[in-house]
Amino acid sequence: MGGKKKNKVIPAPPLPPEVDDDEVLVSDEDVDFVEENRDHIHLITGIDKNSLNEVVNKLAAAREEDKLERLYEERERKRKAAEALKPRNDDDLEVDRVDALPVKTLQGELVYKTAKRVRSEDKDNGVESKSEDNGADPKQRFQKERKGRSNKKEDGKMQHVQPPVKVAKEKLHTVVLEEVKEELSAEELFEKKKAKLAEIGMAMLEDPESNIRSLNDLLIMCNDADQKVVKLGLMSLLAVFRDIIPSYRIRQLTEKELAVEVSKEVKKTRYYEYTLIRSYKAYLQKLISLEKQPYFYHVAVRCMCSLLDAAPHFNFRESLLASVIKNLSSSNNVARKLCCEAIRSLFRTEGKHRGEATIEAVRLIAAHVKLNDCQLHPDSIEVCLSLKFDEDLGKDESKQERVKPKKNKRYQNRDVTKPSDKKKIRKELLSKAREEVHADLRAVSFTLDPKERKMIQRETLSALFETYFRILKHSLSTSNSRYKATSVSPGGSHPLLAPCLEGLGKFSHLIDLDFMSELITCLKKLSGYTDQQDEISQDNGLSVSERLQCCIVAFKVWRSNLEALNVDLQDFFVQLYNLILEYRPDRDNGEVLADALKTLLWEGKQQDMLRAAAFIKRLATFALSFGSAEAIAALITLKHLLQKNSKCRNMLENDAGGGSLSSLVAKYEPEAKDPYLSGALASVLWELSLLQKHHDKTVSAMASNILSMANLHATQNPVQLSSANPLEAYNELSVLQELSKPANKVSSLKCRRKRRAKEFVALSPDVLEKADCSLSDGELKEKLRSHFAVLRGISKNERLRIDLNHTLSSINLYKEYKRLKKQSKKIEDW
Amino acid sequence: MAKKLGKKARKFAHKHLQGGAKRSRKLRSQFNRRTRKDGKGREEEVDGDEEMRRGDSTMNTNDDVATLANYLEFPEDENELDGDLSESDGYLSEDPECLYYSDSEDGNVLEDCIAEDDLDEQNNDMNLAIKKQKKKLKKLLDKDPEFANFLEKWQSELVSHGSKEDSDEEDEMDSMHDGVDSGDRNPPNDKILTSKTISEWCQLVSKEPKTPVLRNLLNAFRDACRFGVNSNSLSMQRLQSTEVFYQIISFVLAEADNILRALLDISDDDKGKIMNLRHGNKWQAIEPLIKSYLWNSLDLLSQLTDNQMLTFVVTQLRPSAVFFSAYPSTSGKLLKILIRLWASGDQNLSLSSFLMIRELASLLPDCLDLCLTKAYNAYLASSKLVDNRNIKHIELFMNCLVELYSLDVHKSSERVVTSVGQLSAILRQASKTKEKEDLLKIDNWQYINCLNLWVRFICVNYKDCDLRTLLPTVVQIIRGVAHLLPGIRYLPLRLKLAQMLNELSNCNQMFFPVPSLIFGCLEFREISQKEQTQKTKIHFSSLLKVPRNLLKSRYFQEQCILSAIDVLSAHFAQWSYHVSFPEVATIPLILLKRLHEQTPIESLHRPLKRLIDQVSENRDFVQRKREVVSFSPNDQSAVESFLQDEKISGNASFTQFYASVSKNSQTRGRKLL
Repeated sequence: MGGKKKNKVIPAPPLPPEVDDDEVLVSDEDVDFVEENRDHIHLITGIDKNSLNEVVNKLAAAREEDKLERLYEERERKRKAAEALKPRNDDDLEVDRVDALPVKTLQGELVYKTAKRVRSEDKDNGVESKSEDNGADPKQRFQKERKGRSNKKEDGKMQHVQPPVKVAKEKLHTVVLEEVKEELSAEELFEKKKAKLAEIGMAMLEDPESNIRSLNDLLIMCNDADQKVVKLGLMSLLAVFRDIIPSYRIRQLTEKELAVEVSKEVKKTRYYEYTLIRSYKAYLQKLISLEKQPYFYHVAVRCMCSLLDAAPHFNFRESLLASVIKNLSSSNNVARKLCCEAIRSLFRTEGKHRGEATIEAVRLIAAHVKLNDCQLHPDSIEVCLSLKFDEDLGKDESKQERVKPKKNKRYQNRDVTKPSDKKKIRKELLSKAREEVHADLRAVSFTLDPKERKMIQRETLSALFETYFRILKHSLSTSNSRYKATSVSPGGSHPLLAPCLEGLGKFSHLIDLDFMSELITCLKKLSGYTDQQDEISQDNGLSVSERLQCCIVAFKVWRSNLEALNVDLQDFFVQLYNLILEYRPDRDNGEVLADALKTLLWEGKQQDMLRAAAFIKRLATFALSFGSAEAIAALITLKHLLQKNSKCRNMLENDAGGGSLSSLVAKYEPEAKDPYLSGALASVLWELSLLQKHHDKTVSAMASNILSMANLHATQNPVQLSSANPLEAYNELSVLQELSKPANKVSSLKCRRKRRAKEFVALSPDVLEKADCSLSDGELKEKLRSHFAVLRGISKNERLRIDLNHTLSSINLYKEYKRLKKQSKKIEDW
Repeated sequence: MAKKLGKKARKFAHKHLQGGAKRSRKLRSQFNRRTRKDGKGREEEVDGDEEMRRGDSTMNTNDDVATLANYLEFPEDENELDGDLSESDGYLSEDPECLYYSDSEDGNVLEDCIAEDDLDEQNNDMNLAIKKQKKKLKKLLDKDPEFANFLEKWQSELVSHGSKEDSDEEDEMDSMHDGVDSGDRNPPNDKILTSKTISEWCQLVSKEPKTPVLRNLLNAFRDACRFGVNSNSLSMQRLQSTEVFYQIISFVLAEADNILRALLDISDDDKGKIMNLRHGNKWQAIEPLIKSYLWNSLDLLSQLTDNQMLTFVVTQLRPSAVFFSAYPSTSGKLLKILIRLWASGDQNLSLSSFLMIRELASLLPDCLDLCLTKAYNAYLASSKLVDNRNIKHIELFMNCLVELYSLDVHKSSERVVTSVGQLSAILRQASKTKEKEDLLKIDNWQYINCLNLWVRFICVNYKDCDLRTLLPTVVQIIRGVAHLLPGIRYLPLRLKLAQMLNELSNCNQMFFPVPSLIFGCLEFREISQKEQTQKTKIHFSSLLKVPRNLLKSRYFQEQCILSAIDVLSAHFAQWSYHVSFPEVATIPLILLKRLHEQTPIESLHRPLKRLIDQVSENRDFVQRKREVVSFSPNDQSAVESFLQDEKISGNASFTQFYASVSKNSQTRGRKLL
């Protein structure tokens, strides 16, 4: 990728010949150093080939490690600079605002010099202050450069010279530090640095115009050896940038502009903008490089997210976006959350960047998904749910343009890359001028005209659906080969499928009709449906929740397109009919099931009678085996079906000979795979009688309510218990919901009855019998005997011990006695 | 008193019987741990097992729920009591005497004083040493007669000093017996009691209860009970032989109750009658005797260490509960001892002390509160850790506690409601934060055992009392626990919860969708290829959460599925006569069939097949029966009466199948224990 860019770089800078020559030489040398094999670059810059070779050889001879590093660094910087320049050029091509503005067509010698200085300073590690050259004559400058060239062998040294200045400074610094070392501990040093950071930051915020140069100091601080200081530096730079970044994009000046003289103010502004953008770029580069270090990872990501949030319109958005999107699927939870939030806010606040960043982001996500073969964290797709599309736009578009998004893209590419006809060019120039004026207007007002907006949205949509379809296709292709057992773990190897399906459901109304049938087929396959009725493969690799979601999405897509679609959704009913039996409360998401019931059955219009009957029976059976939340969702659906299909109410009654209605199958088959062949119409809903005894009052009340329908006329409906749909009812009764409600206070229990002493309730009689077995006389005697013996033994032992101690101490006392005696004797003698 | 003996025995054992003490400690380590826990609480957790540390961590968090979670215990206001108990715990736990018994059992019985060999030898050695030293002393004295005077002076000083130290302890001891000692008794005589005297007395007393010999006998009993408390006390001198000791104790314990009743002319346990009698002259005359008997029995209880002996004494004392009830403070003391014994871990002792507790509690409503609190806390303390050994005890404790709480539901309801409220609060906290620390408060035996206790309580009292307000909360807790601890690893816990639901369903005839809890069991497909070489020691029913390494083991899956079969059979049996049984069985049956086809464990094929066959048979049976009825599902009374005759006769094959399944599971459990 480097090579390609370089090719573009060389012609790109709009610089005067002399300097251009100079520039080319330097940059080429670098390029050459890295990519020595690329001879064609030499061919392009053939003029100086000899001297160049000489230089290269010398350089190669005198190569030292640090030189190499420095050269590498320089090359990097150059490349980045070129990269940074490129968008500006693009910008110029697109909306050449300045050209249209009469104010800015002024003279530009000096301006050009500043522009040149950009590059030279870039080389100089950005340490040298710019002010010294500010008023310098271009000639002088040029000669300086010349000297540099003639002394090419010392080029390395020359670069060496400047860092040494810095090094020397640092050395001086360290010397001073060492002197003060006794007084200053490391902590104090840190405090000092902190204070300095704060000082600069405050100054910057107070008056960015005059203090713009301090940005450099801050950047230098970010190279500090103390990691904490670096962190602080990054954070303070973030704060400064967030504050001072203007609300417009800074554009590269054209040659023409540079050539014109400008007033002092304009110069100042240009200088300000130039410094800002250069520092910003350096900052971003720093962030991107630090992001790779684990210690700085969090800070870097946080800074980038914050910048993206604050300045999505500003220069270098592309690199910011790329980094943030890359981190969307980071394994680090905190970083991922930050990035997600940043991207979401990007989508939400489209006004800030006129939707351009949105489409870039979506495209980047699409590329990211493609690159990683759909093995990413679900969050990276989930952010797309925050995208907003104008409903009307989507519909208009789908009617107006019957072109597939992919094709669309291709056309555009062709338009851009084939500006062949001269006439066209002329025309374009004309229209360009017009557009420029428009663009300026728009830039001021920050509004998009509907057409452009539509365009952007269309592009975004196509990128989004491209991603979605890629994920679907990927799931489809891998699911068949997946091992059976993995189906137990939901979302195992299709991490992106769930958010993808969710997104499809959400944006279903925007899907092009041409895709519809393909999408439905795809979903059908994913939901596990096969044509062989007797052998529906239960394990197509997707979890039950995912398969249910496929059904839901299919219906949502169908319904949001006004149901005009001539697609047979019967198979999805069959699929749901079977999936109900596969549901496991802890493994699968009950909400999805409830949602499926709601979408497929509860919201639907009148159902086929046989099918409705089959579902009614199955749901009733289902309610018997699962928790109250699932049961209530099933019962509400069941009730709805009974209301819509009054003929099915016969199932509530036990007519002689089973169901009175004729059906294909006379006997009910509870395990049937096909609702039409289950013969449910012939069955009786006995389940409801047991569900009336359900421990949950809501469920039992609902069961009674349904049973009461039996006595009503077909057009009558029983009292409505609640208007909730299955999903709401499910959530209402789910355990977590119940636990989050305040506990109902249990008052003291009422029971006046007391039990008599001999009445046992919990202990079984045979246990009680055991309690009464007492010791035999012999045993008792034995036990007592040993108890007695031990007690006596102990006391005897104790007595003896006292005796012994007593005697011993008496003997010991004899010595004492002797001593005393001697003493008394002495006294007496005395 | 217990304290004293305990201290002495401990000191003694520590000094001289290191080996023995160690051995006994090893033997009773399990027991120790439990008793120490219940007594001293959480300050002394050297055991360092996980459960305890977990408890500590919950202790340290200071929010409301955490304090609630302090082992869900009820606060006990008597600090003195705690201290007392903990002391006696120490005594129990480091009890060296248990060993003597076991040793002496196979030793020679002929010898009158068959103490432990060590002790005897030591005594002999000491005798020799004393003789030697005495000789030496004598020599010295002979040599220098003046030394004798000096020695005397020193000795007298020593005595006066020592007596001061002793007096405190003496006071304490004496104060307890002031009631007996003062007034109604001559200064204690020091005549040696012989076997013959005692048997004479016994005969006399059994012939004529009113003889004054009874007093002598009770005094002898007192001496026997206090034997060994003080090495140079009177009782040591009075009781010289085991025979006498045995005679006194066995006779008094066996007959005292009858004799006292005969003296008071009462025959039944009518408490009112005794209370009336209390102000009569007769009572006044006999009261000292009763007091003496009761107090000395208490002493005996606190002195004995052998579980069987304790069981015996408690059983013998049970008829006299009515006398105890006349003295609430004494009863309080007795209850504390009894609760300690109840929690001790010996099945028989637990049971007999519980029966005594229950007796007392029903006689003395004032004591009921104390019993409820203490027993509940003891239960919680002992149920912290469940392993193969104490499953049965915990079951027994739980049943006992349910008995106790069911005695007077009105009175205990407040506690029940509080405790259930605590459980619920802990669950809510966990569901709110979902943090590991909070989840651990649910995921422990204490919580589950406590829940199980109240489930059982509800089941027992559901018919008689209005527990409809309590039931939903308990059901919610069960559901919540199952929801918050998902996954295959928690299957043992789920099976327990399912059992609880089955119990509840059985008592209140409500429908609980039990199968939904245990579907996880029926989804096993893989087992690890390498068979566990070392047979796992862990018993399945002592697990809440399966260790990861066992997850795919054959043993675990086998046990899981067998337990699941038990639970499902219970559920099916409950509804086997219901008109919608075929539908109840539909989904589980599908899963069972699938499992039967796919499981790689051969040993499961038969039980699974059997269950499937039985369920299918019953399904067909109900289906046949309901085809001919004419009522509809909304006809409640008809639905209720469906197959009632068959249910009452209980001849249906499924009922019999279930009986055999539950029997099997019981024997399986016993075998594993």
